[in-house]
Amino acid sequence: MSKENPEATTKVPDDLLAKEHEELIPIADDALVAAYECLRDQDDAESQGPMGGDLNSHEPPGPADQDPPASPGRTYPNIRRLHGTPFEREKDRRETRAWAERCGGEMQEWYEVARTKPCTWWLENHLVARHSLDGCIACGVCTSLCPAAEYYEEYDPRVIIDTALSNDEARLVDLLKSETLWYCGQCGSCKPKCPRENNLMGLISSLRFLAQLKGYHLCSVRGRQQYAARHLWGGNLWNRACSLYFRNVDAESHADFGPRYAQYQSEVEPQMTRVGANPDTAGQFGGRKVPPETLEELRRCVAGGGTLALWNRLEEQALEEARRLGISIEEYFERVRSEG
Amino acid sequence: MRTTITAPAGEAASKEIPENDFFLTPSCVLGALNPGTEVLISRIYDLLGLRWTAAGNRPDSQCTCCTGIASHGDVMSMESTLLVVARLWSIAAQMGFENITTACVTSFAIHTECLEMYQHEPGLDKRVDRWLQEACGRRLQIPRHVVHASDIVYRYRQALGQEFMRYRLVEKRTGRPLRIVDHVGCHYAKVFPEKSVGGSDWCEVLTGMIRAWGGETVDYPERNHCCGMGFRQCMIRPNRGYTLACVLKKLESMEPWKPDAILTNCPGCNVFLDKEQWAAKELSGTTYDIPTLSYTELVGLLLGWDPYEVVGIQAHTVPVEPLLDKIGIAYDKSKEWFSRHG
Amino acid sequence: MAKKVCVIGGGVTGMQVANVLSTLGVPSVLVEKSPELGGHVPRLSRTFPFFNDDGFNDGREFTAALERDLRSTSLAKIHLNTVVTEVTGEFPNFRVQLSDRSSIDAGAVVVATGFEPFDPSSLKEYGYGVYPNVITALQLEWMLNPRGPTGGKLVRPSDGKEARRLGIVFCVGSRNRRIGAPFCSRICCSYSTKQASSVMEREPGAFVACFYMDVRTYDRGFEEMYALAQDRGVKYIRGRVSMCKQLPDGTIAVRAENTLINKPFWGEFDLVSLSTGMRPCKDVEQLAGTLGIGRGPDGFFLCREWFRHPHDATRDGVFIAGCANGMKPIRNCMIDGASVAARVTALLREVPMAA
Repeated sequence: MSKENPEATTKVPDDLLAKEHEELIPIADDALVAAYECLRDQDDAESQGPMGGDLNSHEPPGPADQDPPASPGRTYPNIRRLHGTPFEREKDRRETRAWAERCGGEMQEWYEVARTKPCTWWLENHLVARHSLDGCIACGVCTSLCPAAEYYEEYDPRVIIDTALSNDEARLVDLLKSETLWYCGQCGSCKPKCPRENNLMGLISSLRFLAQLKGYHLCSVRGRQQYAARHLWGGNLWNRACSLYFRNVDAESHADFGPRYAQYQSEVEPQMTRVGANPDTAGQFGGRKVPPETLEELRRCVAGGGTLALWNRLEEQALEEARRLGISIEEYFERVRSEG
Repeated sequence: MRTTITAPAGEAASKEIPENDFFLTPSCVLGALNPGTEVLISRIYDLLGLRWTAAGNRPDSQCTCCTGIASHGDVMSMESTLLVVARLWSIAAQMGFENITTACVTSFAIHTECLEMYQHEPGLDKRVDRWLQEACGRRLQIPRHVVHASDIVYRYRQALGQEFMRYRLVEKRTGRPLRIVDHVGCHYAKVFPEKSVGGSDWCEVLTGMIRAWGGETVDYPERNHCCGMGFRQCMIRPNRGYTLACVLKKLESMEPWKPDAILTNCPGCNVFLDKEQWAAKELSGTTYDIPTLSYTELVGLLLGWDPYEVVGIQAHTVPVEPLLDKIGIAYDKSKEWFSRHG
Repeated sequence: MAKKVCVIGGGVTGMQVANVLSTLGVPSVLVEKSPELGGHVPRLSRTFPFFNDDGFNDGREFTAALERDLRSTSLAKIHLNTVVTEVTGEFPNFRVQLSDRSSIDAGAVVVATGFEPFDPSSLKEYGYGVYPNVITALQLEWMLNPRGPTGGKLVRPSDGKEARRLGIVFCVGSRNRRIGAPFCSRICCSYSTKQASSVMEREPGAFVACFYMDVRTYDRGFEEMYALAQDRGVKYIRGRVSMCKQLPDGTIAVRAENTLINKPFWGEFDLVSLSTGMRPCKDVEQLAGTLGIGRGPDGFFLCREWFRHPHDATRDGVFIAGCANGMKPIRNCMIDGASVAARVTALLREVPMAA
């Protein structure tokens, strides 16, 4: 992260995508963002084909020859080069900080203030936490149905409810610093059977948000992963309007999916196109490139809900941690993503 | 000795499922890993002559994801989610559609959670309406129905089976009904069980389809167990052992019944129950090789649509061809891959 | 001639009311909707030995004794297979119409309609009605009765084999706000403990586990009964059962968390008995309308004054006794029946004789 630096240059190198993270730092915020957007929206205007973006022609494709299908409408070849890069992350850091400063908003302020209050205050006032919990009879139904409680020996979600109900600030802080807060897989198996109609899944979600705002997530391996999460899903959402990008799930980091998956991934674009999806092209289905107007509206909604308060906090804390460890922010990103 | 249990029906009829006019929201996971399955939703709607749209009936999509993954991955505030979803509803209303059908079950639970929040939190709707206007000039318009696309296929399962399908869930050679394990997404049946077909214990949405198309359902101890996708657990690599363990647990539990296939309605379940079978084999030494299909893929296959060009079975780790052989569906294996080796 | 009392319900409470009224010289008419007197008690196999060992070994022995007393007095008339269809008039001049075309001029009405066990088919997680080896406590009770379907042996309905592993699930249909039943049914911990204890007494090699949230064996002698059960080897596991699933051979796998050691687990049983909570009878709503009396949020009849006149319904001249007034054990039903009889008698004595 770099503050607006009076010495920042507005000159953007031609081989921007090849630059290391350190080389991006001197570039001014606006110039960096503009360069990104320009690259993102560059289309490959030469490829026009029969499978244009007309949504309403739905006859199943006829018998195909084994050549890859004709190119669909406009493709955007730079998205694959931009996604998940240090460039994109650096641009995101700058951009969301600028957005937060510019847009502010009621919820962003609320979260920034909430961060300074006790955990017990949060439980009474956070929209989700407020509706999550009534009394608990400690019957254990939630834990008995929880797959994570089965898998992680030391994990007992019923104890989380007990901690929340105890109204004990010290216990709550311990919980927010713990590994166990992050074991829940948000499946909701606990939810349909609670005899008091509590929402344990929602409570955990709410507590995780608070843990990050307060920086307690840094005390656990799983918690630190949230910095990676901010860029993985947050980055996809901010830049591609979708939490997952089809190239994120590459074969190399998904060896557990087996060799057939690797084969599929090696020809993922024609495979997606043949079934009617839109890899890096305009369209309605998988892999689609959305127009800037859609991204703009989405970002305004995300910002309007106060999420940037969280993302910027995560960045601040990550930078502090990186400095403390004597590594770059990008090295920190890689580290927290593969720890554990 | 295996026993097959016919689950009690009963609450199946209580969910109100609209019959037409659908605003379809796509899925992040399907789009990235199994894109054919959600295109198939649109093809099925067309086949049934239903009126539907995605966000923007033109090449450029106005659609965004519902923020479900980011929300359950704890990098999205509830208010941001409310706004993003409200924007989608506004687009639907603008296009004249009041029934939302989601391709993803997490989306279904997210949209439903928004609806519930407005019910339980007085004044929230006004605040969100104001924020939405400030953010992008749109108004909060609560849709009439929010359902999952599998609800629609459930609703039309008899019509599909009787009027359109060329094949049945029956072993062609012997006439034996195929044994299909139903795996319903947790976010479909458990988060708001009263909004599912049949509740969280004996959910009907997939078993109804299986029975309508000639198959047999399977009840086994870990039937209700989550597939283990777990959002941050599967997507951040060091955590993925949990996902694999959950998949393995289910496979071990269902194995005595020798299922012919697993049927899913959730994108995440579809991915992990299928793809982790390879790792499960490496780890446990047992080959399960149970073809795992989404309900739309199954519909496509039983309709006789091309398994590779339209249904996209090649996206699966567990080969689906053995199931096609059982049913008697012909296929041209040479169409599977584009490159010659594989 | 003293005014008659109409007693609705011929279970042990109704019979007790009629018997005590008879000893006090008050005539009564007992109206019972089923073909037999005694209510639920005839099918009970056993009560536990207590300070005085007059705990019965077959519920029918007890109800037969009550019935003998009843039929030996001319002051009590009995109508079986009959219900009350209409009540007109005011205290102390009610006119009660019955479904057998007869009518009663009654000075007071006592409601002793008892309860019904909750039907657990609606709680799909337990598999009741789907898995043969999941039964209810009342079915277990009848199975343990030598007059019952298996001659008192514990058997797996799925294959008729002996059941040596019994799981007892507490609080089925009770203490559950989610299903609209937040209340406790009071007697289930006790009857479950009694059942578990009985099984261990006959079969010391059996494995019996009770899955509880609390053990509310609160009444006199009940805590001792709990201790006795444990001495006999009944296992108590603190955790509410969340799910029952059937294994390939019909054995039932039960899922719960052992909350005292923070561990979820599966337990396997030949037979699982659901200790269901209780509800007021299905026709209680109609009866409340017919009698013009109120019910509480738990569905049982409401009394007008909680402490001073705990049997008075919300209408003059109508009284509630036994489980219709809230669940209670058999002994308390007997006490209740006697005290209502006294209350009604005293009230009727204050009324000038009708011309």
